[in-house]
Amino acid sequence: MEIRVNAASGNGLGKKINVEDLTLDYGPLRVIDHVGFGVQEGEFLAVVGPSGCGKSTLLRIMAGLVGPTRGRVLIDGVEVLGPNPRRNLVFQDHALYPWRTVFQNVALGLEIQGQSPAQIRKRVGDLLAAVGLEAFAAYYPHQLSGGQRQRAAFTRVLAVDPDVLFLDEPFGALDAITRLILQDELLQLWVDSGKTVVLVTHDVEEALLLADRVIIMSPLPGRIREILPVPEKRPRDRGSATLASFKRIILGILGLEPVIGKATLRGRDFSI
Amino acid sequence: MAERTGPAPTVARRSASSAWQVRAARAIPYAVAFLTILGGWQVAALLFPAYLIPSPGRVMLRLSQELRREAFLVTIGRSFVRLSIGFVLACLLGLVMGLVSGIWAFFRRYARTLVSILQSVPPIAWVPLFIILFGFGDYPIILVIIIAAFFPMTVSVMNAVEQVDVLRVDVARLLGANRRQLITKVYAPEVIPAIITGAQVGFGNAWRSLIAAEMVGGVNVGLGWFINFAGEVADMVAVLAGIFVIGSCSALLDGLILERIKRRLLRWKYV
Repeated sequence: MEIRVNAASGNGLGKKINVEDLTLDYGPLRVIDHVGFGVQEGEFLAVVGPSGCGKSTLLRIMAGLVGPTRGRVLIDGVEVLGPNPRRNLVFQDHALYPWRTVFQNVALGLEIQGQSPAQIRKRVGDLLAAVGLEAFAAYYPHQLSGGQRQRAAFTRVLAVDPDVLFLDEPFGALDAITRLILQDELLQLWVDSGKTVVLVTHDVEEALLLADRVIIMSPLPGRIREILPVPEKRPRDRGSATLASFKRIILGILGLEPVIGKATLRGRDFSI
Repeated sequence: MAERTGPAPTVARRSASSAWQVRAARAIPYAVAFLTILGGWQVAALLFPAYLIPSPGRVMLRLSQELRREAFLVTIGRSFVRLSIGFVLACLLGLVMGLVSGIWAFFRRYARTLVSILQSVPPIAWVPLFIILFGFGDYPIILVIIIAAFFPMTVSVMNAVEQVDVLRVDVARLLGANRRQLITKVYAPEVIPAIITGAQVGFGNAWRSLIAAEMVGGVNVGLGWFINFAGEVADMVAVLAGIFVIGSCSALLDGLILERIKRRLLRWKYV
């Protein structure tokens, strides 16, 4: 068990990730509009918003897959100019290679780094054992269940030991029970590894269960509506009353719930 | 005790026989296809006089005699040499054109135009031109095979490269893949099924153009020439023997070689 305390948001110096005034236009369409925030080292940040609000695109920019129209992303003080294994992304679609076995999929990053077959065998074997996939090492992705596939996709990314993990609705395509299990596993991974995590999700409950802070985005063009710390200590209970009322606040901000009253959070009033 | 040990061999025997049954069940469609052709032929042989359509039995007998003749084996061998050279060159050309047009938009438009023009001309129509250019011999035939067989490969590889899953490319980029690694670890495996399709379609084209070009190409050796010559002397038994050889060779090459290569390369699809 570990309880993390949010550091007060400072001037951006000394943060793991700094997103500075990011804007992205696709032709005449503005997808992301002047978005800026910071992420602490070891923080778990969630980004929620209606679908099509540019939150996945934001993650792709942060991971270096897409260049912004204006603004920049700094990680460890260095501008992101392209993808880098040190900061990796897990997609909603597992994107495993169908022609590679589970073992070979997980080994891909190590192969790319040019590690020896013996090193790869050892490392991949250990990783698969840790996530309970060692019996499926020789299986192809289409022979696995949805949860096993996503576990393999996580393991492929973890094999190169990134210190920043970007997660783009990683559990969005899974059934409800598998999702709960993988959420717990992710939380445990984060606690054990101290990695910095940015999770994009449309599942508000998921964000509240996992994250230190939640960024709420508005529909297109994507802007930041609120950045709120989750007002609950860890370990959290899915049924917690605090989280339930916090969820109402967020849904209220997103305009998804009829207003039934007011709530006060950190000295501010919100319609709920 | 006896009862307890009893079931084990029964189970083993049952699984052995079911494996045999599965194999037999798989062979049935092939056998039916073969019998359909043979049956149609036999019916036609009964309806028409023997000098027009000889029966399968007579043709088989003639074939067994021909196969003992060195000249006939040389004729088959020469056709195979032309086919192999033409088909391999066509595959390589198609592969290169397909890959280049997959990553270079200018070349893609150029190749599409080239393909659509060449595709509409029956390959055999080039024969007179090539004979004037290169004279009688193997070159016009091989060239016709290349023209007939390269474009299925080009088109299917071109489309496959265009349709490579962006997400899978991104995964490799995020893991630090350089350009060469992207090609060997993502693009190449993504395109292999299309290469196989291109080769299989191209092989049919190559085979047909080989025979056609040998029939009109002014050569005096080769299966196409054999059939053409037999037709000129009204030797229908030899004509049908030649056709039988073409059909069975093509089926054997496709089924035994190309299909096996496909299953080997795409074995992940068959588990």
